[in-house]
Amino acid sequence: MGSYVIRRLLRTLLVMLGISVVVFAFVRAIPGDPATALLGERATPEAAAALREQLGLNKPWFINFGNPTNPLDAQYPRYVGQLLRGDLGSGLKSNIPVREELASRFPATAELSVAALLFALVVGLPAGIVAALRRNSFWDNAATTVSLVGVSMPVFWLGLLLSYFFAVQLGWLPPSARLGNEYSIEPITGFYVLDALLRGQPAAAWDAVRHLILPAVALGSIPLAIIARITRSSLLEVLGQDYVRTARAKGLAPRHVTIKHALRNALLPVVTVVGLQAGALLGGAVLTETIFSWPGLGSWVYEAISQRDYPVIQGGVIFAALVVSVVNLLVDLSYAALDPRIQYR
Amino acid sequence: MTTLSPPHTAARRPPSIFWRRFRRSAPGKVGAAIVAAFVLLALLAPVLVPYDPTTDRDYRLNLKPPSVAALWNPEVAETYRDPVTGEVNLWKAPLGTDNLGRSVATRVLHGAQLSLKVGVVSTVLALLVGTLLGILSGYFGGLLDTMTGYLSDVMLAFPSILLAIGFASIFSSDNPPFLVAALDRLFALNSPQLVTAMLAVSLVQVPVYLRLARSVVLSVREREFVQAAGALGASQGRMVFRHVLPNSLSPLIVQGALSIATATIEVAALGFLGIGAQPPLPEWGTMISDSRQYYVDAPWTMVFPGLAIFLTVLGFNLLGDGLRDVLDPRSTQ
Repeated sequence: MGSYVIRRLLRTLLVMLGISVVVFAFVRAIPGDPATALLGERATPEAAAALREQLGLNKPWFINFGNPTNPLDAQYPRYVGQLLRGDLGSGLKSNIPVREELASRFPATAELSVAALLFALVVGLPAGIVAALRRNSFWDNAATTVSLVGVSMPVFWLGLLLSYFFAVQLGWLPPSARLGNEYSIEPITGFYVLDALLRGQPAAAWDAVRHLILPAVALGSIPLAIIARITRSSLLEVLGQDYVRTARAKGLAPRHVTIKHALRNALLPVVTVVGLQAGALLGGAVLTETIFSWPGLGSWVYEAISQRDYPVIQGGVIFAALVVSVVNLLVDLSYAALDPRIQYR
Repeated sequence: MTTLSPPHTAARRPPSIFWRRFRRSAPGKVGAAIVAAFVLLALLAPVLVPYDPTTDRDYRLNLKPPSVAALWNPEVAETYRDPVTGEVNLWKAPLGTDNLGRSVATRVLHGAQLSLKVGVVSTVLALLVGTLLGILSGYFGGLLDTMTGYLSDVMLAFPSILLAIGFASIFSSDNPPFLVAALDRLFALNSPQLVTAMLAVSLVQVPVYLRLARSVVLSVREREFVQAAGALGASQGRMVFRHVLPNSLSPLIVQGALSIATATIEVAALGFLGIGAQPPLPEWGTMISDSRQYYVDAPWTMVFPGLAIFLTVLGFNLLGDGLRDVLDPRSTQ
């Protein structure tokens, strides 16, 4: 087990290194010069050159062959050095350190993703279980249809439809932002709902929940569909196994067999799938946050790409990839706790 | 003059196992019907309603509701009444008009062609590249396997839409690289940005096929008939392409149908974010993006392009499920 964890950790580190190279290369390959972007079209060539010098953009990418005493005096090694020190640079436009903005924006995306996943689990799990227990019934067909519709629905279209019906037409829920202007919450965790409750502001917490509902439903639609589908097929498979038949033959209560014997084993693939949704949720957040003006990671990185804000793109994308890698690592490691049959070598 | 019909030499063969199973699969039939309908519409669009997106403007008729609503709504009927003849043209803009007075129905119809082309081409490219790499690394293993495994680990760690955005924003549209320009000409898309988005979506799918093909090849490689071919002196190339590949195709075909669905959504998403197809091209995602300023008052500009995406994706998803029922009956997912 120990050596497996170490090997798995090393692999995650290697993948992170690869991610940093890919992001670095991508960002440098985006057309357009950040010096011109910063100074405007009419900047003198001298001023642009001075700014490039200051930002280190005049150095070679990977290895500085012109400087034999210090061949690592190049953009990428410098960048990795900064990364390891936790220094992600500052946004070219805003001049706010990327780390600070990341710290304020990630909780917004995390709150949205957690809410979306909760919605997906609360609806998807029971739907999948009922579908498997009442196979080929009306409920099974309904659950299968809903999950098919869920995976086929473009997130951005669903988001716009929800916002049109529930915010514009019915006026039940707010169409954008995390919180109404009349409230302000002193952050503790960065999760507004939680913070408002901790600060004893139930009205603000309710307002935050209301703002959360539409984007969370839009973002949670695909995970919901996938969770319902996997739960159904996995439970069907387990219910057909010999030990379940034996348990029934011994005269155990059907409910007991379903919950204690079948469900526990059936949920293992569901855990994997939930873990794999981390990447999908972060990706979907780019679209959902754009529609609902949610001040999170996705909308931030998207704006940065259109403005060629190198440090923000690098910091944001590397951070997103780090989150995905860490979640995948945790999912892999959690198997042993959930399923004693799995042995790591 | 008499013509000779070709003689019926062979009796009609009974339908193959594939068709017999496929006909029993309800999702497969529905999916095939939807996909066939969209392919037909896409092919017939230029004949039914010739369309040039660059000249289509009618500012008198902007943001008007669907003209079929004239049947029950006198106000709408007034909008679409011909001032000269006094007749109401129900089919002027059956799904309403957008901010430039263009018929949403016409644009959705012409978007079908773009969407199907882009979805199919990006999937086929990913399938070819990913499968080839996957087969080679699964069959030969070693350094190649380690390298491709590592690269796909790295690629799969990115949220795919971010990777696609990054890739799509690399190429400048004024001066597209040769590959992009060539594909643009080949598929007559007239939009280097759309081709770049297509390639980006394709690239993101490559690791999926790589892993799938690799895992299938690893199991097929050990089967007796492959070993028998090796023992009979078949060359490596013959072993891979005559024995291993044809027996590994089923899961790849199923995945292919499913990932046309994913590709369609992702290309539309890139268009929605303003990175894929650019206006005035009638690409569905771009149309929804255009409608964002107007959909509060004119929801039809957003609803119908989205419905088209949804139905196409639904069709390919159902078709994929049906193919899985047929080709891979043991799998229950």
